[in-house]
Amino acid sequence: MTTLLTNPLRVGLRQERVITPQCIVIFGASGDLTHRKLVPALFELFRQRRLPSEFAVLGCARRPWSDEEFRSKMGAALADEIADHPSAWEQFSQGLFYEPVDLQQADHLVRLGQRLEGIDRLRATRGNRTFYLSVSPEFYGSGCRALAAAGLLADAERSRVVIEKPFGRDYGSAQQLNKVVQACAKESQVFRIDHYLGKETVQNILVMRFANTIFEPIWNRNYIANVQITAAETVGVEDRAGYYEGSGALRDMVQNHLTQILALTAMEPPGRFDAEAIRNEKAKVLQAARLANEEEPWKCCVRGQYSSGGSRARPLSGYRQEPGVNANSTTETYVAMKLFINNWRWQGVPFYLRTGKRLPKRLSEVVLTFRQAPVHLFDAAGGAPTPNQLILRIQPDEGAEIKFEVKAPGSGMRSRPVDMGFSYDDSFGEPSDEGYVRLLADAMLGDPTLYTRSDEVEAAWRLYTPLLELIEEAPWQLPVHPYEARTWGPAAADSLLGDDGLGWRRP
Amino acid sequence: MSTQLTLQAPLDVPPAEVYPYLDRLWDHGLEGSTGAATFTLLIWEPSWLEQQMVRIGRIDGPIRGLERNDLLEAARLITADCDLPFSTAPMDPRLAWKVGQLAGQHEAQDLRGQFVPNAISVHTPRRLITLVPTLDAGRPLETMVAAYCPLPDEGGAGAACGDAIVLRGGMEALRQGLPLIQPLIGDDLPCWVWWNSSLDEPPEMLEALAPPPRRLVIDTSLGHPARCLDVLVARIEAGQAVNDLNWLRLRSWRESLAMVFDPPSRRDALAHVVQLDIDVEGDHPVKGLLLTAWMADRLGWHLIDSSTTEEPGGINAEFQRTDGTTVRFRQMPVPVGVPKAHPGAIVGLRLICEPPDRPPLCVILCSESGGCMRLESGGMAAMELVEEVVPLPEENEEMEMARLLGGGHDTTNPLLAASAPLAATILPR
Repeated sequence: MTTLLTNPLRVGLRQERVITPQCIVIFGASGDLTHRKLVPALFELFRQRRLPSEFAVLGCARRPWSDEEFRSKMGAALADEIADHPSAWEQFSQGLFYEPVDLQQADHLVRLGQRLEGIDRLRATRGNRTFYLSVSPEFYGSGCRALAAAGLLADAERSRVVIEKPFGRDYGSAQQLNKVVQACAKESQVFRIDHYLGKETVQNILVMRFANTIFEPIWNRNYIANVQITAAETVGVEDRAGYYEGSGALRDMVQNHLTQILALTAMEPPGRFDAEAIRNEKAKVLQAARLANEEEPWKCCVRGQYSSGGSRARPLSGYRQEPGVNANSTTETYVAMKLFINNWRWQGVPFYLRTGKRLPKRLSEVVLTFRQAPVHLFDAAGGAPTPNQLILRIQPDEGAEIKFEVKAPGSGMRSRPVDMGFSYDDSFGEPSDEGYVRLLADAMLGDPTLYTRSDEVEAAWRLYTPLLELIEEAPWQLPVHPYEARTWGPAAADSLLGDDGLGWRRP
Repeated sequence: MSTQLTLQAPLDVPPAEVYPYLDRLWDHGLEGSTGAATFTLLIWEPSWLEQQMVRIGRIDGPIRGLERNDLLEAARLITADCDLPFSTAPMDPRLAWKVGQLAGQHEAQDLRGQFVPNAISVHTPRRLITLVPTLDAGRPLETMVAAYCPLPDEGGAGAACGDAIVLRGGMEALRQGLPLIQPLIGDDLPCWVWWNSSLDEPPEMLEALAPPPRRLVIDTSLGHPARCLDVLVARIEAGQAVNDLNWLRLRSWRESLAMVFDPPSRRDALAHVVQLDIDVEGDHPVKGLLLTAWMADRLGWHLIDSSTTEEPGGINAEFQRTDGTTVRFRQMPVPVGVPKAHPGAIVGLRLICEPPDRPPLCVILCSESGGCMRLESGGMAAMELVEEVVPLPEENEEMEMARLLGGGHDTTNPLLAASAPLAATILPR
């Protein structure tokens, strides 16, 4: 095993924007997300010296912890990182505080306001606050109301609220939640998080498209035959059955993560690189997106659920056998679907989306398959020339790849496909930050570019409304096909493309 | 760059009336606006070259104090008349002095301090104070005051406004006007001081305008090299937040060099550098030395010795790597036909690494505006060659300044803080 040396010339070159003195208040601080993602991301920002010295983290939950208990629990969760950076933790943990708060209790909010004023004095955080609602989704609206009623969102410049996914359960509930949130705070204060947007490679879709002249001219219906977006997980439902049973893959992955990737892949070029310009374009493309068959949505969507599988040595249980899952559950753990985008750029180009749990590989990618050359002049080694493909690998092995035909060596003129690849590892060799690191920094900076705006969220829900209604009202029309764990989903999903004479890319 | 005029025509106000006038302006004239809670920007803006070129009729007025292309073009053309080398940068203070010897009596309106570049105005400075010395050393002090509101590109102007104050006069009059400034700055907002001129100018003015904790912005390409580095180092050592536009203009060189060593397969070579050569325009060495010092600091080299070269204008130095191996350094001035605006721009860089068990690696970075023939010649046939072109940022001083203001940098960049003292040590005295 070789140790990767850091590039000493790279240190300190990034001109990071400066986060103002700030207190980040995490509601749901006793939950998983806080110790698995949020506090580690904040600690990483601290280690990268991107947090100001005047910062504080105030954990809030119902449990009656003290500051010391909170520090100790966060310390236990970060034990490995702390072992490597004990002095950094020593300094960072000085800024960790805890306040028992029930968002439904008005007097708790009064006490919270007083505690924040105390922290402002103690840590010189100057009244700048980012409230992070890492609570159960049913409390997003009431949480915002409680914060607003306590006057904690009154200063639009100094207070922001970050809301975790899922933002609503469907179009109607998302609209309703938007109304509540917007009654409590200005849109500029609201940060709806989708951690996929924090991934370097997702952001790289924008750079690939709009910083290069070679891609954009061919990024349209004239050259692209179809687009496949895949987010595959090897894990099962694990300990999230309580949430997942009421959600399923459509709500958990497609409506947010895959739809965001779809929007970035298909959007028009923004006039400039700022939050509103980018979010305008994303909202527009989502408003133009349609299920391939809205009248008969069961014809353009396949749902699946993993059954047992694996090997004799490592058997994997089926979804219905997972702890906390209803033995007769019809919750989908796999979704594949076909969409169209009705605009000048994409008219007639099918977009195929798929996501699933317990698939053979963990990967996310966007595959743009180009049209065939109009005339085949050469014999192809594989019988027919392989269409050109551009593959944007979002995870793992982040990078991009272009497949094209070249002359196979020899006296004849046979063609065969080859790959030309770019790998983040080979070119940069630096691990990219966890998505939450980037997103938390952006929220504290007040930069909403990588957060979803109200109209985007609503457009995303509206897109899937025919499916959600069908599942609700006539689930037998959209049955859940079982698929063996560690396979690429049900056969019906293959037919979805097979009917178009295509097949899923086998990564 | 498009510029914005102030909201109202600047009003001549007697010096003693400036502060009361501002009070009235904010109390009555700008009701409904509390003013932007941002920062004060104090600018020393002599614009000697622009004033002299207008005086001799080589460019038209008005005098604005902003970097302008016609001024740079005219300055490049006039170097021969001034008996200066073609490689003399337009902003070289010696050129302004030489132009000052030429005859001419053209006059033009002086609008310095009354234009706010868009790049800066988007950061809504609460107060802009510009000191504009005139060629006429005996001119009395004039003070002008105006309010301004930045107009966002897409309308929807906010209520946050600022004011602009101009102090104009001969040097002596400006010295006498210095006591006016402190009450205008106040303590409640951060204050940036932009010394937009040569560091060879009278030191007492710099001392008076830029005491800590004001954040100082200088340009070490303007002035005698030793003086430039000494000022920079002294301020850093005093703990003052100081930014150097000359250092900021090195950004693309530092980024390009780092980029060469981003692929993990090349990282190891950085520990085996044996030679570094840098070519610079003209005879101002500071920029090249800052780049060298940055590399030496990042790679842990220890300076052994430095000297001037036999050929005029060059610098030789020897460093010792952490493993004791010697690194040879040479910086040479090279003539160029069209010099960049500021003295000492880097033309090219060559880095030779000799990692064990691998062929030597030669990295050549070349400015996109010129060739690197000297660096590309000789003895590299057996080496792995990496050549990159370093892009020239299309940014002028105002945009660099705006970047600083936007970044909110209230401390000295640690890389600059580490590099400047070493650069000062490399410079042979």
